[in-house]
Amino acid sequence: MNYLQRQFHALLDHCPDERKEIRSLRKTAFDRFNQLGFPTKKWEEWQFTDFSEIRKNEYRLASGKDLPKIPDKIPGLIPDTYSVIIINGHYQPQLTKLPMGVSVKSHEEFFQFDENVYSLNGNKNPFLALNTALMNSGVSLIVEPDSIIEKPIQIIHLTTALSDQFMNHPRLVLNIGKNSQAALVEHYIGETEIPYFVNPVTQVLIDGNASLNHIRILEEDVSCCHTATTNYILKNDARLNTTSFSSGAKLFRHDIKLDFTGDGGEAVFNGLCLTEDQQHHDQHVIVDHQQNFCQSRQLFKYILADKSSGVFNGKVVVRKNTKQTDADQSNRNLLLSPSALMNANPQLEILSDDVKCSHGSSTGELDDDAIFYLQTRGIDSETAKLLLIHGFANEIIEKVKPISVQDYIHNQFTDWRS
Amino acid sequence: MLEIKNLCAAVENKEILKGVNLNVKQGEVHAIMGRNGSGKSTLANLIAGKNNYSVTSGEVYYKGKNIADISPEDRALNGIFLSFQYPVVIPGVNTTYFLKEALNAKRRNREKDEINAADFMRLIKEKLKEVDLDETYLKRSVNDGFSGGEKKRNEILQMLILEPELAILDETDSGLDIDALKTIAHGINQYRREDRAIILITHYQRLLKYAVPDYVHVLMNGRIVKSGGKELALELEEKGYSWLE
Repeated sequence: MNYLQRQFHALLDHCPDERKEIRSLRKTAFDRFNQLGFPTKKWEEWQFTDFSEIRKNEYRLASGKDLPKIPDKIPGLIPDTYSVIIINGHYQPQLTKLPMGVSVKSHEEFFQFDENVYSLNGNKNPFLALNTALMNSGVSLIVEPDSIIEKPIQIIHLTTALSDQFMNHPRLVLNIGKNSQAALVEHYIGETEIPYFVNPVTQVLIDGNASLNHIRILEEDVSCCHTATTNYILKNDARLNTTSFSSGAKLFRHDIKLDFTGDGGEAVFNGLCLTEDQQHHDQHVIVDHQQNFCQSRQLFKYILADKSSGVFNGKVVVRKNTKQTDADQSNRNLLLSPSALMNANPQLEILSDDVKCSHGSSTGELDDDAIFYLQTRGIDSETAKLLLIHGFANEIIEKVKPISVQDYIHNQFTDWRS
Repeated sequence: MLEIKNLCAAVENKEILKGVNLNVKQGEVHAIMGRNGSGKSTLANLIAGKNNYSVTSGEVYYKGKNIADISPEDRALNGIFLSFQYPVVIPGVNTTYFLKEALNAKRRNREKDEINAADFMRLIKEKLKEVDLDETYLKRSVNDGFSGGEKKRNEILQMLILEPELAILDETDSGLDIDALKTIAHGINQYRREDRAIILITHYQRLLKYAVPDYVHVLMNGRIVKSGGKELALELEEKGYSWLE
C-alpha cells in the first residue's frame, strides 16, 4: 500500500459522518487516480515534468494538529481587499471578511447545491482525481446575481510552521452570479523549509453577463510541489480577466481549461513565471471555443534563471460550425542563463472557417543591442540588464488591476533575485 | 577632442576599417559621407564602445586618453553620445523613466544630486518643444511604436537632455521628410557650441544645408579617401562617389 492509499483510508476513517454521496465520489475519484497513476514521460501532455518527488515523498494529509498559533500579521495580505484566510489547510472563519452579496459555503453545503461541480466527467488529469478523492480544504464562494463587488476578495492559503512533511488538496469553488462583477486574488504562500505538497482545484463558473478578474499568485516555498487545476466555464457574454504570477515552488504544474459554453464570452490570460536555481514551472492552457462570437487572448511570459526550466503548452480549440471566433495566443520567454531551459508548444485546433486566430512563441536572451543602447546613455550594463528584465515583465504587471494588487506583484517582482 | 590614428577593425574576420585617421577639435562639426557599407556605422559604433568588433590596429584618443579599455557607459558619462541609425525598441521601459535614469547616471558621475521631479519635467518639456514631439511620447515605452521620424527626434531629444561633449549622429537624417529634417537640423544647431564637437554621418548632402559642417570627409572602403570643407558635400552631390575610386 503506498502512502496515498494509507492517507485515503485514514481520511475516510477520520470523517465517518460525511455524506454518503461525497464518500462515494471520493472512492470513484481515488479509483480513477489509481488507474491513471502519476504522469510519466510517456504522457504527451506531461512529458517535460518529473513528478517522482511527489510519488516518493511520504506526505501525510494535514490534520487539526497542524494549525499553528495564528500569526499576528498574515503574510501577503494586500491592503484594501476582503479576505479569506486558510492556514495549513484550515479555514479561519474569524479572520474572514466578506462583503454583502458574497457567501461562503463548505463543500458539504455546496455539494448539495450543485454536485456537478465535483464530477470528474472522464477527465484524465490524475491530480484532479487525486484532489477529488482527498479534498480536505478550501471554500466555496458564491457571488449573488447583480452584485458589484468593488474590492477584490483575497484568498490566502498559507503554509507555515510545519513539523513534518504534509499535503493539502484544497478545493475552491467560485460562482459568479448573473450580471455580477468581482475580483479574486487566489494566493498561495509558504513559509517553511519542510517539504510539502499542495494540489488545489479551482472551479469557476461565470454566469451570463458577469465578469471576474482572477489573479493567482504563487509564492510557495521552494520546498513545495504545487500541482493545480483551474477550470473556467463562461456562459453568455461572460468576461474573464486572469493574471497568473508565479515565483515560488520547486515544482509547479498548472492545468487551465476554459470552456465558452455561451455566445459572446471574452477571456484574457496574462501570465508571468519567474524561476531560478532548479525550479520547474509547467503551465498547460486549453481554451475551448464551443460557441459563437467569443474572444480569447493569452500572453504567457517566463523569465528563467540559473538551471531552472519552464514548459508552456497552450491549445486553442475552435469547434465545428462556430461563428466569429477571435483567438490569440502568445508565449514569450527570456533566458537569463545558458543553463536555463524552456519548452514551448503553442497549438491551434481549428474546425471552423469563421475564425481569426493567431499564435506565436519566442525564447531568447537579453538583447545585446538594447544593452548597448542603454550603455551609450550612461547606464551601466548591470542596471541596463535589470531595466530590460523589468521591461519584459512590465508588459504583464502593468495590466494588473486594481492598483493595490499591481503594486503587490510589482514589489514581489522587484525583490526577486535582489 | 577626438583623435583617431590609423584605425583598423574587423567583424567576423572581415576587415571593415582599413586605417582611418581623423582629428576632431572642440567647436568643430565634421561630416563623414559615404555609400552604404563603406564603414561609417562601424566607425560610429567603435567610438561609442560597441564590443563586437575586433580592433586589429590603431588607436582612438578622446580628450587625450586612449579609450580602448573604457566601457560604453563610461564613455557616455565622459561625454560621448551616439545617435543610432536604428534606435533600439525597448518594450516595457517607460520613456520618462529611461531619460531620467540616463540623466541621473550622468549627474551621479559628476557627484551632483539626482534631478528632482519638477525640474526634470520642466527640462523635458522645454526640450520636447525643440524637437517637436508632444508629451504623450513620454508615457510610451522607449521607441516602441514610434515612427522612423519619431525615433530620430527621440535621439536628438536625448542629446539635448544629456548635453554630451562629442555627439556622433549616425544617419540621423535618413528616412525623414523635409519638415522632420529641419527639426533635426534645428536640434543640432541648438546643441552646437564652442566647447562641443559633432560628427555627422550621412550619405545625403541634404542635412548639411541646414546643419553646415566645417569639414567633410569621404569614407570609402574603410578609408578616408578625401577631406575638404563644406563645398566638398556639394561636389559629391553633383558628381557622386565614383570619381574618388
